[in-house]
Amino acid sequence: MQELLGTFPGGLVTGSVYALLAMGLVFTYKATRVPNFAYGAMATFVAFFHYELVAGRRFSLDLSLLVVRLDADWDVQLSFWAAIPVSLAAACLLGLVIERLVIRPFARSRAPMVVMIIVTLGLALLLAALTQQLFGADQLIVPNDQAVLPRTPAFAVGGVNVSWERLGVMGLLAALSVATWWFFKATRTGLAIRASATDPEVAALLGVSARKLAVVSWVSGSLVAGVAGIALASVVVTSDPNLLMLLTIKGFAAAIVGGLVSFPIAVGAALGIGLGEELVRHYLVAMDAQLWQGAPEVLTLGAVIVVLALRPRWIFTGIREDEDTGVVGRSGAADSALARAIDPVEAFRLARATLPGGLATWAGWRPLRRAALVALAGLTVLFPVLPFVDDFYTLPANLAIAAGVVLLSFVVLVGWLGQVSLAQGAFVAIGGAGTAIGANTLGLPFPLPILCGVAIAVPVAVVVSLPALRLRGLHLAVATMAFGLAAERAIVPRFDASDRVAPPAWMATDRAKYWVFLALAAVAVAVCWRISATRIGRSFAAIRDSEVVAAAYGIRPVRVKLTGFAVSGAIAALGGTMLTYQLGAVGTQSASVFSSISALANAVVAGIGSLAGPAIGAFLFHLYPELTKGEVQATSLSFWPQITASALLILMLAVNPGGLASMARFVRSRASAYDDADEDLELDDLVAANDADLEVVP
Amino acid sequence: MTDPVLSIRGLSLAFGGVRALDDVTFDVERGSITGIIGPNGAGKTTLFDCLSGIRRPDAGEAIVRRADGAEVELIARRPWERNALGVARTFQNARLFRSVPIGEILRTVQHEGMARSGFWRSVLGTAGARGDEAEVARRAEEALALVGLSEHADKPPAELSTGMLRLTELAAVSVVRPKVLLLDEPASGIAQAETEALGPLLRRLADHLDATVVLIEHDMPLVMGISDTIVAMAEGAVVTVGRPEEVRQHPDVLRSYLGTTAA
Repeated sequence: MQELLGTFPGGLVTGSVYALLAMGLVFTYKATRVPNFAYGAMATFVAFFHYELVAGRRFSLDLSLLVVRLDADWDVQLSFWAAIPVSLAAACLLGLVIERLVIRPFARSRAPMVVMIIVTLGLALLLAALTQQLFGADQLIVPNDQAVLPRTPAFAVGGVNVSWERLGVMGLLAALSVATWWFFKATRTGLAIRASATDPEVAALLGVSARKLAVVSWVSGSLVAGVAGIALASVVVTSDPNLLMLLTIKGFAAAIVGGLVSFPIAVGAALGIGLGEELVRHYLVAMDAQLWQGAPEVLTLGAVIVVLALRPRWIFTGIREDEDTGVVGRSGAADSALARAIDPVEAFRLARATLPGGLATWAGWRPLRRAALVALAGLTVLFPVLPFVDDFYTLPANLAIAAGVVLLSFVVLVGWLGQVSLAQGAFVAIGGAGTAIGANTLGLPFPLPILCGVAIAVPVAVVVSLPALRLRGLHLAVATMAFGLAAERAIVPRFDASDRVAPPAWMATDRAKYWVFLALAAVAVAVCWRISATRIGRSFAAIRDSEVVAAAYGIRPVRVKLTGFAVSGAIAALGGTMLTYQLGAVGTQSASVFSSISALANAVVAGIGSLAGPAIGAFLFHLYPELTKGEVQATSLSFWPQITASALLILMLAVNPGGLASMARFVRSRASAYDDADEDLELDDLVAANDADLEVVP
Repeated sequence: MTDPVLSIRGLSLAFGGVRALDDVTFDVERGSITGIIGPNGAGKTTLFDCLSGIRRPDAGEAIVRRADGAEVELIARRPWERNALGVARTFQNARLFRSVPIGEILRTVQHEGMARSGFWRSVLGTAGARGDEAEVARRAEEALALVGLSEHADKPPAELSTGMLRLTELAAVSVVRPKVLLLDEPASGIAQAETEALGPLLRRLADHLDATVVLIEHDMPLVMGISDTIVAMAEGAVVTVGRPEEVRQHPDVLRSYLGTTAA
């Protein structure tokens, strides 16, 4: 009993951390229907800013853009509390900028959920990279004298000391909970948000401005993120931008149990996850750290996935994605009824198609096509023996091929089947692990370990896709993210550098590996090409566009999704086996959720719908930066590639669907059109609300 | 009624307190065209949703009788099994696969008919799979030619007019050779001239496919002109079933449309 009690403080503190994040997510979602995957990144940004002020380091801003060079230095040092107003002001500004530049273009064009997920993921990547670039550190360590509250014990429970600082986090959660409750209960804005969440048309009739609400909620959401970030950075002790982003996954897992709209359920689930992790850590991991590695994540996130897949009613009352348009509705069928009432066919036609074509749309430029393709193919095959290429370049080329294969797995799953999965990194790890098992444990001769890695991935992919059979859009993204995180913690550490995988003697050189990898990638591309050209690819597109219509024509969503997940998992695993052979050990870098997210972002920019996309992505995001590395300062880590890539992603999604090619047109016409569309739509909505088809309103 | 191809028995469905379908019962004669009319909220589309499996009714059944007399209950089947039983539907908003060119849509909808094209056979391109693909492509072209849209085969739905979308939809349901064709407002959103042309086209389609048609329609001249039988619905219930001229004069139908008790 004493021992059990001892797990409570730690569990509650961890749970409070998740709960703070979950509350912010619910807040933003409730008000704007945007799932903010960038929440943790926003919190981190403010936290870094704040402790930078407190530490009194020199702020040096060194931006060189083309010919303009911005160089600024200033020394600032503030006390913790003096820095608070400055940091919170910065947080508000951040929220304002994000709402205006990133969110608004999507909010009014009724972007489908898939797009919103990828946009905020891109924003998360952008902020994480910006944080590291601007503050020049990839870790934030808050020393004892800068902690919010003293780290000395306040009291002890079950023999475990609870510090003032940790007590403070729980206090902060309690205070924010009360404040939130009061905000929604007693303030005009809170009431307006609740009204708008229930029925935006009626709310608009009563004078609630959706735009104003969005601004208010993003600014206050960012403020809460800032407060949470500053407190959490202190408690988590060492935090890097990616860590808080990963904590956001747990916040999301908790929030989605409450349908992303219920504060009490979200906070309860967050505390439950925190306590559950601590219990598992205390009882199982302490018993055998090796055996139970990753068990806290696996068990708690697994529980969330199970809850999601069993879909109790309360989760789904909050979020309804319109089957037809992918647009997020409010309370059931009202939105599609509305769309139908305006003009059913028009609504169908105007609904945005899936994702933009990305850079790969240029690959379809006909005059260039055949000659260019032949030349490119020739260059690719001959790459290792080109005059200026030595082994120094072959290594990154090999890694780029592996990365391209992983991108290909996203094309199949996200581009063709329309399922946003963030667990691809896990399959990379599984492929690598399978190769290690095949080569070392089973002692199989060369090509077989590759098959072993791919073969193990297929049944796992089928298991992972089981929730996908019942979940769509946001739920699926969160469930696969949870799986990815659990796999990252449970699988990857077991196969770290200790498990060497040696290729056969003839494949020892990077050059030989290059051709082997290229051949394997060619096989994967050929399979995908056959899929896209036949019945299988058509059934993927059917499920992506509308499961209801597909089923009406006899296409079985379950079978098609299982097929897609299995193919995509197998391809990602193939990428994992390549990485393993190249690195000589199971690659851990590409196996994280973080790299899944950035791979997804790269895949979208390069072109998620076409086979040319992965090739473009592999070159642009993996080979090219390596080839040109010598020209950039080799000493300092540069995050500009990630910054440009994620900014490009957001821009590209805003321009949807023509990809970069249509960007010029966008800048001319659409930029101002959003503001006009605002008024038009509201008028339309009012007319529509009047004679909405009652038939489908529950 | 001598040979009903579809018998709907006591279908009921409530959304909370609203009775969307209230003990709906009627027969559809084989080879006939049956029109369903009724004001908004009468439960017409909900009825189709129950028949095609998008919604599950609280009670009731729908029995399909094949030509050989075999009976199949529809409601208990999964949505995607109903296509193979010969039941196909269109949607009120001309819902199709939005990102796919219409020529390819017509190949996509023939998915279940491709028995020799499993995953590996398709990927490896076996003779059987290639044969299936050729056959499916041929039928898709044929169906598109039938509605006169061959030249638009490469365009996605977004680039077509509403009338063309309606025709594409008709081509899509006809290419799967259904026995019972459920059409949800095939004339909504299209021009008057097109509507007038639609009646003969539907008749021709039904004869060509040897299919039974059930259509929901608000355009009275169209639905009264081509239907053998009219089912009038209001507030989830069947008001009356009969020949067009009978239903037109029915006091309850007049009341539900005009909202008056004075017949």
